[in-house]
Amino acid sequence: MSSREVSLATQLRRAGVLDAARVESQIEQINAITGTYLEDPAHALSYLADPDAGVLQLLRLAESARDSGNLDALVALRGTEGGAKMSVLLGGSLALGDFLVRHPDFVADFGNLPVGEKFADIDVRGLVLRGVGADPNAEVPVATVTGAAGQAAMRVAYRRVLMRVAAEDLFAKVPTAIMHEVGSVLADLAGAALDAGLALARAEYPTHDATRLCIIGMGKCGARELNYVSDVDVIYVAEPAEGHSDEESLKVAGKLANYAARACDSPGIEPALWEVDANLRPEGGDGALVRNVASHRAYYERWAETWEFQALLKARPIAGDIDVGERYVDELAPLIWSAVEREGFVENAQAMRRRVEEHVARGEADRQIKLGPGGLRDVEFTVQLLQLVHGRSDESLRSRNTLGALHALRSRGYVGRVQAATMERSYRQLRVWEHRLQMRKLSRTHLMPATDAGKRVLARASGFATVEYMEEVWHDVRREVRAMHLEMFYRPILPVVARLSADEAALDDDAARARLTAVGFGDATGAQRHIAALTDGVSRRASIQRQLLPAMIGWFAQGADPDAGLLAFRQLSEQLENAQWYLKLLRDSRTAAERLARLLSTSGYVTKALLISAQDITWLDNDDDLAPRDPARLWGEADAILKRSADAEQCITALRGMRRRELARTAAADVLGLLDSVEAAKTVTMVADVLIDGALRIAMDTVTKTKGLEAPPITMAVIAMGRYGGQEMGYNSDADVQFVFDGEGQDAQSFAQQVATELRRLLQTVGSQPGLEIDADLRPEGKNGPLARSLESCREYYGRWSDPWEAQALLRARPCAGDKELCDRFVKAIDPVRYPPELPASALKQMRSLKARMESERLPRGVDPRRHVKLGPGGLSDVEWSVQLLQLQHAHEHPALRTTVTLEALNAAVAEGLVEVNDAEVLGEAWKFATDIRGALALRGVGKRTDVLPNDVRQMKVLADIMNVRMTGSELDEQYTRASRRARLVTERVFFGWTEDDR
Amino acid sequence: MDKQQEYVLRSVEERDIRFIRLWFTDVLGILKSVAIAPAELENAFDEGIGFDGSAVEGLTRVYEADMLAKPDPSTFQILPWRGERQGAARMFCDIYTPDGEPALSDPRQVLKRTLDKASKLGFSFYTHPEIEFYLFKPLEEGKLPKPIDQAGYFDNVPRGTAHEFRRTAITMLENMGISVEFSHHEAGPGQNEIDLRYADALQMADNIMTFRMVIKEVALEQGLFASFMPKPLATGPGSGMHTHMSLFEGDRNAFFEAGAPHQLSPVARQFMAGILKHAPEITAITNQYVNSYKRLWGGAEAPSYVCWGSNNRSALVRIPTHKPGKGQSTRVEYRAMDSAANPYLSFAVMLAAGLKGIEDGLVLPDGAEDDVWELSNSERRAMGYEPLPASLSDAVDIMERSELVAETLGERVFDFVLRNKRAEWDAYRAQVTPYELEQYLPVL
Repeated sequence: MSSREVSLATQLRRAGVLDAARVESQIEQINAITGTYLEDPAHALSYLADPDAGVLQLLRLAESARDSGNLDALVALRGTEGGAKMSVLLGGSLALGDFLVRHPDFVADFGNLPVGEKFADIDVRGLVLRGVGADPNAEVPVATVTGAAGQAAMRVAYRRVLMRVAAEDLFAKVPTAIMHEVGSVLADLAGAALDAGLALARAEYPTHDATRLCIIGMGKCGARELNYVSDVDVIYVAEPAEGHSDEESLKVAGKLANYAARACDSPGIEPALWEVDANLRPEGGDGALVRNVASHRAYYERWAETWEFQALLKARPIAGDIDVGERYVDELAPLIWSAVEREGFVENAQAMRRRVEEHVARGEADRQIKLGPGGLRDVEFTVQLLQLVHGRSDESLRSRNTLGALHALRSRGYVGRVQAATMERSYRQLRVWEHRLQMRKLSRTHLMPATDAGKRVLARASGFATVEYMEEVWHDVRREVRAMHLEMFYRPILPVVARLSADEAALDDDAARARLTAVGFGDATGAQRHIAALTDGVSRRASIQRQLLPAMIGWFAQGADPDAGLLAFRQLSEQLENAQWYLKLLRDSRTAAERLARLLSTSGYVTKALLISAQDITWLDNDDDLAPRDPARLWGEADAILKRSADAEQCITALRGMRRRELARTAAADVLGLLDSVEAAKTVTMVADVLIDGALRIAMDTVTKTKGLEAPPITMAVIAMGRYGGQEMGYNSDADVQFVFDGEGQDAQSFAQQVATELRRLLQTVGSQPGLEIDADLRPEGKNGPLARSLESCREYYGRWSDPWEAQALLRARPCAGDKELCDRFVKAIDPVRYPPELPASALKQMRSLKARMESERLPRGVDPRRHVKLGPGGLSDVEWSVQLLQLQHAHEHPALRTTVTLEALNAAVAEGLVEVNDAEVLGEAWKFATDIRGALALRGVGKRTDVLPNDVRQMKVLADIMNVRMTGSELDEQYTRASRRARLVTERVFFGWTEDDR
Repeated sequence: MDKQQEYVLRSVEERDIRFIRLWFTDVLGILKSVAIAPAELENAFDEGIGFDGSAVEGLTRVYEADMLAKPDPSTFQILPWRGERQGAARMFCDIYTPDGEPALSDPRQVLKRTLDKASKLGFSFYTHPEIEFYLFKPLEEGKLPKPIDQAGYFDNVPRGTAHEFRRTAITMLENMGISVEFSHHEAGPGQNEIDLRYADALQMADNIMTFRMVIKEVALEQGLFASFMPKPLATGPGSGMHTHMSLFEGDRNAFFEAGAPHQLSPVARQFMAGILKHAPEITAITNQYVNSYKRLWGGAEAPSYVCWGSNNRSALVRIPTHKPGKGQSTRVEYRAMDSAANPYLSFAVMLAAGLKGIEDGLVLPDGAEDDVWELSNSERRAMGYEPLPASLSDAVDIMERSELVAETLGERVFDFVLRNKRAEWDAYRAQVTPYELEQYLPVL
């Protein structure tokens, strides 16, 4: 050994050994036992999944071989391919290594393996049947090794073959390439075990010749894609042998079936193989275990549910009397597809789609190979869904096997070649991981290992150089499976001319409509028209659309109104035909595309906004762009607009545009669940403030100029009232305001009047950007009073006010624009009015009767009051009046109550002990609930009324979706009714002051 | 298609059933029936039978009229009455919205939801009602009803019509799979009582609906008239439906504890405490008519005050004594409910009140040993025996503030009951009764 050569320990570590010292000593022990030496152990061990365990197992095996006189066979494997296969087995499967240690005489098997053995060449059935001393060629094999010994012998024979399969599997250079063959041979092996189980049963029950029993494999076993360890799903069918009655036949068949199953799954000296599950049989666990063919047929003709027919797709005779089994399959096969049709495939397809999505949506289960997002179940669902949609009219798709079905779908043009290949690759990889994991301890696991050690072993077992690389592929596979579901399902809906390549599948019209209807498009023909229009032509635009649309269609299908979403998408795309950024954004940002699809298929309000100003779509890629703008930034922007231009019309158009933009931003974020309705209302209010302030500045300027003045003779302010004052403005709300000025004389009054009129004109005239209705009816004297009033006049008016409702209205007064100092003076002037030292009993009475009258008069005709979220019992106005009463009564003494914001005032009232915590919670909850519903109704944007709950539970469900709460329509209805009922009871106490005795 | 549905279809075929009555119950507890042909049955199981729900009291709001009735195959029963011998059967239905969601306003669903809640706590709920009713000679317009006999409690009237009636009725009930525990003549003239053998509450509610139907049918067959009106005769005792309740955890009676006072487990005591606490709130459900309060406050063993006692017939909640060693039959008897109540809603609120007692760990007050009717008002107040509501109006006002009842019934049923009962009270108050005319007209 030259000094440059590294020590054995280092070599071992490089080969992946963790505890080199121990392994080195174990190798020495092995050498000592066998009397020979392992050649280049580091090199040999580098092939093992778990070299440390492999060496330990080899040592145990050597000891066991020595003790049983099999040492020669073991030594003979040295340097042979058989020896290499045995080594990878010892490193890859602890359980099968243990098996070999228990049965060292099987070591010789590895010396006799045919070179280049194919799984299909193994006489699986013969090997297992001979294990129990039965003749595999006999018409009815009967075991000669019987009872507990027979059962153990069967299991040993099974595992002996399993060991061989696992060794070949682990030894394969490209395990994904042979995965389907492994699945087949495992299914055959399971069939052989059941066959041997039957042979044992026959030895037990001499009357077995009364029946011809066949075991039908279902599920993965029937489909010949079985795992190493998995429940084996079966159904039993038996016909009487000649000269025997059906009754005799079924009686003994039941015993045989039961015995055969127990031979596989009952505990014993040699451990059980797997569970035999017969619950897929007619009537499930309650039904008869064995039926004859006619009885099976009668059941499926009359009673079976659609999923039972789907299960039948996989049925295959695997053990016992194959002739009877084939009769069973032949008789039932015609029923399967006619049944699927009878039961209505649309609902089934939709139910399956939902199931797929539920799996995809599940956040946790990151390690689940089978059920997690992008796992095996997703692949199987996708393939089965397509089989279900198209298999009715195309018999070639009726394959039992997942890969077989995938190949058929591909070759018949229902899915694209690229997609099919990607799906297949992912499926094979997932199955290889599953096999490797199960093989290790022969356990029924589907979980990626959580520990570093476990991951390392799996990576080595499945041919990955590093754990990091394996995890990268794991991540990619799952992402691809999920993406491929959309691609495979929706891509072929695009018309033939829209194919991306010649490899691409394109469905005929009927098949495409079937798919669109299946996912929830009401007008499949219309949808096809939009799709054709979008993808038509040779432009770059059309070609990007072809890339995009499949996924978009899938997302539209998840929204409340897929048809509207697709139509809006077409309109938007036509409008932006020449905008490079638009399609690029959607192509490069999955987030933006998915969000756009959700908005268009859910919210009429946002759709309208986006159609007016399509460039806003760029926000969808970025949460920061969807967050409410900082007020300072908007005020700055408005300021800059006003300074930039002297042209009044230009300025106001820019400002109105700014408001439209911010409303769209807020609404989009609201629908996407990025902000709640209270925040949204605050933002909507703030944006109105900026616009009105700008409009006031322009109006002052204009009037000053028309009057030929140097400077305005007065200062002026706008006071927000009502919900606007309370920062609770809705998307479609008017702005309630009043105008105040400071200045004296007739000129001042007329100047102010003109400014107010001009401000309204600026905001309300029809223009390219949406306006804002200004409602000044809450001013002193209402419509009869002057539009603008001087501060002095206001003070005087409020000083001799007579109506308590005016003081109440002032609770919501919040200066929102104009001269700062005037604003402050106005607030000082009204504070003594709205926060009086005492609320006279007469005023209280007046308020209460006014409210009671409003309840009966203000509600629109024909509306169920309980469904009116604003004026109905326990609605917004109940809560607001209650809070306002508390303010009138207590704000003088408790300044914390002096706010225009309902929830702030309510919280302050709790903090000051003016209302019970429970009552306040009930009021706050109902108020927020009603606000959420109003917001959702406005965002949904169908119908004019945003205050009335829809009667249709489906529309209620859409609202729940927009509100981002997980409820059905009925649940939302029930929850709101409950919240408002409670709020009403509190209102009756807090506002009306009714006590128990008053009732 | 499950096994029970299969069984029903097979029986319909084998027994030559010509039509099937689908039964369901409106919010007031009145039985509704839709008849369908056997050919429609499969569809009824799969998709339900559509009907106009707005025609049924309390089931829907007018604008969502379409509802689906889906028969519950476990309730399949051949109808034994005469004239329909060849071929009628019935099943109770659950009501669904057109979307396939259970209708929140279906009384059967209300009870199912509440039973489900109990089951989440590990309990199943059993009941056993003693149903009282009157047998009258055929009604004559404008005249007071005439009882068929003048016998009294446990009287065995030789060749009595009532005796014959009970025998026929019981046979018919047994034919319909409803086991009868006991029957006898009650205290009032023409008044009878039949006790049903205990069963889980949903099945029992179905049984009670069937029972009322059978009793009315048999009476008509025999030229009589049967009534479950709570107080048909001003001078006779009212017809109550004393209901024995027990909770089981698996096979074990959760109310029983050997050696404890009255053999009552802590669960039983908490359950009783819950019932007592919420009794005034649930009275508008268990005693739902104006007339119910004439029974409740008409003396003669009707319980007017909230208290409990062991074998105290004046108490609202009574612990019946049972033979030692029969722990499984430990139970609690609620004596307010009357024979005209909606059994689904009543069982639901009674169960909910009891469960609330368990959930909140309420403490059972001391039992009443005196005859509560004999006490003076001050004595009762001093001992903390609250009265039950004095009228339907009082009962509705108390119920309106009950979270327990609102949550149990669901907001929609709750709201309907409130409005319906207010309207009933208003209509009643608008009457000028013969009593008033007799008392006031001559002198005022």
